[in-house]
Amino acid sequence: MSRATPGGRDARAAVIAALFFILAIALLPMGAYVALAFSWFVVISAGAYVGISPLRLARRGAIALPFVLAALPVIFLRTDELLWSGTVGPLSLSISGAGLRIALTAVLKAWVSVQASIVLITYSDAPTIVTALRRMRLPDAIATSAGLTIRYLELLRDEARRMLRARTARSASPVGTGRERIGGSISWRARTTGNLVGSLFLRAYSRAQRIEEAAASRGATGSLSIGTLPAADPRLTMKVIGVLVLVLTLTLCGALLPRL
Amino acid sequence: MHLPDGFLAPQLALALWLLTAAIVGIALRRLAASRDTAGAAGRPILMGLVGAFIFAAQMFNFPVAAGTSGHLLGGVLAGYLLGPWAGTIVMTTVIGVQALLFQDGGLLALGANIFNMGIIGTLGGTLIARALALTLGDGRGARIGAAGVAGWLSVMAGAGVTTLQLGLSGTTDISVGLPAMLSVHLLIGVGEALITIAALSFIATTAPDLLGEESATQHSLLRRATAGAGVTVAVIALATLFASTDPDGLNSVAQALGFSNFEAGTSFNLFAGYAIPGLDGTASTVIAALIGAAAIAGLLFGLSRLAASRSVKR
Repeated sequence: MSRATPGGRDARAAVIAALFFILAIALLPMGAYVALAFSWFVVISAGAYVGISPLRLARRGAIALPFVLAALPVIFLRTDELLWSGTVGPLSLSISGAGLRIALTAVLKAWVSVQASIVLITYSDAPTIVTALRRMRLPDAIATSAGLTIRYLELLRDEARRMLRARTARSASPVGTGRERIGGSISWRARTTGNLVGSLFLRAYSRAQRIEEAAASRGATGSLSIGTLPAADPRLTMKVIGVLVLVLTLTLCGALLPRL
Repeated sequence: MHLPDGFLAPQLALALWLLTAAIVGIALRRLAASRDTAGAAGRPILMGLVGAFIFAAQMFNFPVAAGTSGHLLGGVLAGYLLGPWAGTIVMTTVIGVQALLFQDGGLLALGANIFNMGIIGTLGGTLIARALALTLGDGRGARIGAAGVAGWLSVMAGAGVTTLQLGLSGTTDISVGLPAMLSVHLLIGVGEALITIAALSFIATTAPDLLGEESATQHSLLRRATAGAGVTVAVIALATLFASTDPDGLNSVAQALGFSNFEAGTSFNLFAGYAIPGLDGTASTVIAALIGAAAIAGLLFGLSRLAASRSVKR
């Protein structure tokens, strides 16, 4: 399989598969670790098919893990299925099995779901996905805005990086003490950052004006929804049926396989 | 604040998707209706570039103290620069692209994330900023100051509503989670406010025509008072929502709606079910675990090899 040119392939089946698969994962009941393992197996197999090894996928999936902080209170505050209770220093603590199950299920669901979306973005690049979403009736204003945002993202990020480097060179960093510590008060630092933001906006604005003039001179109106869409995937219906079967299997696994 | 998938109850995530789609639909219609008269707001290329700008501006971290820094979220800034409707569309695409390209926030949770940051943060924040500016006399200073206050409010409101959604889903405890989230975002919100004010002051000084500030018109006292009352009601409503959220009440709502499916029953015992027939006790569990681990290691090795060969072909 060769990577198609941006927007050159009908990625609707991949988008539908990722969305329904993530929905099926979300619908798995608490403690359905066996079904979650099955869903992880499906994701890493799809990952291997598009060329990402399970280890790399697992590492990139870790982006969702810090969110476990939000679920920490339920582990310690719920009072059902107590696994342990005791005192740590002045605190009396208890660990609830039910709370642990909620936190663990949420984190695993987040981890597998993130990996599923990484597989999607590796299989089809962002412009291809936006084209697929446009085929699926995403409003033109959003599709055009998203398409242009993606197109100019790296350009403006590069610009921002250069400005940040210049700021670091002028040192608004609060690191260090005494003579090493350069830079003013918090409000001074906020103003410096605000000036960077303001001047980046002016650069983006003048770039937008230049693009608009260039587009207008060629008769374009600024909408990206001109030109032809890539040929529709002839096997779309079959693929969607396959996705639904997989999602149904996963849901059945969640309902029937043992939970802990 | 970007919710990943897995932490929200699916029913809540889908309901927020529907609500978000409806409000974004209204924003699109308002934008289309005003396209000819909207000036900057109606320019699709500018909207795309402002989306990329918000992304890039979020890289400008704001050093608060050694090791700690905040960064701009930019909802109110986008709303101020483009107007509430176009700003909402821009933030919707920014949050969508963040989820798609950088896995910052889940796909099923995208409706909730757009609702919390794009609709409450941008649409709500910008409307509050406008009403507040009107109350204060609608001069340039009043407008920029009001945008700062609205920036702070939008961060607090977004954080609070996110926590309430987690509480409804049963994945956090409101009595601990809400004060924790609000106190952390208190400072992040101050950073947001200061950067918004500084950025708008810079633009107002350097390119005043971009902000479309017509000479301050005199608004009637009644209009100003109405705007002020609107802001006050909105702020009191939000504060009351956060202050009086009764965790038990929230839990009972969650259970009534069937969100929190805490099935009791099986006790939490990870290895109880794993045993080899014919063998008893610990030996059986250990052997079962070893066989399982070997099978998983073999599977991972096989898939890594497959990934390497597929990646070379691409």
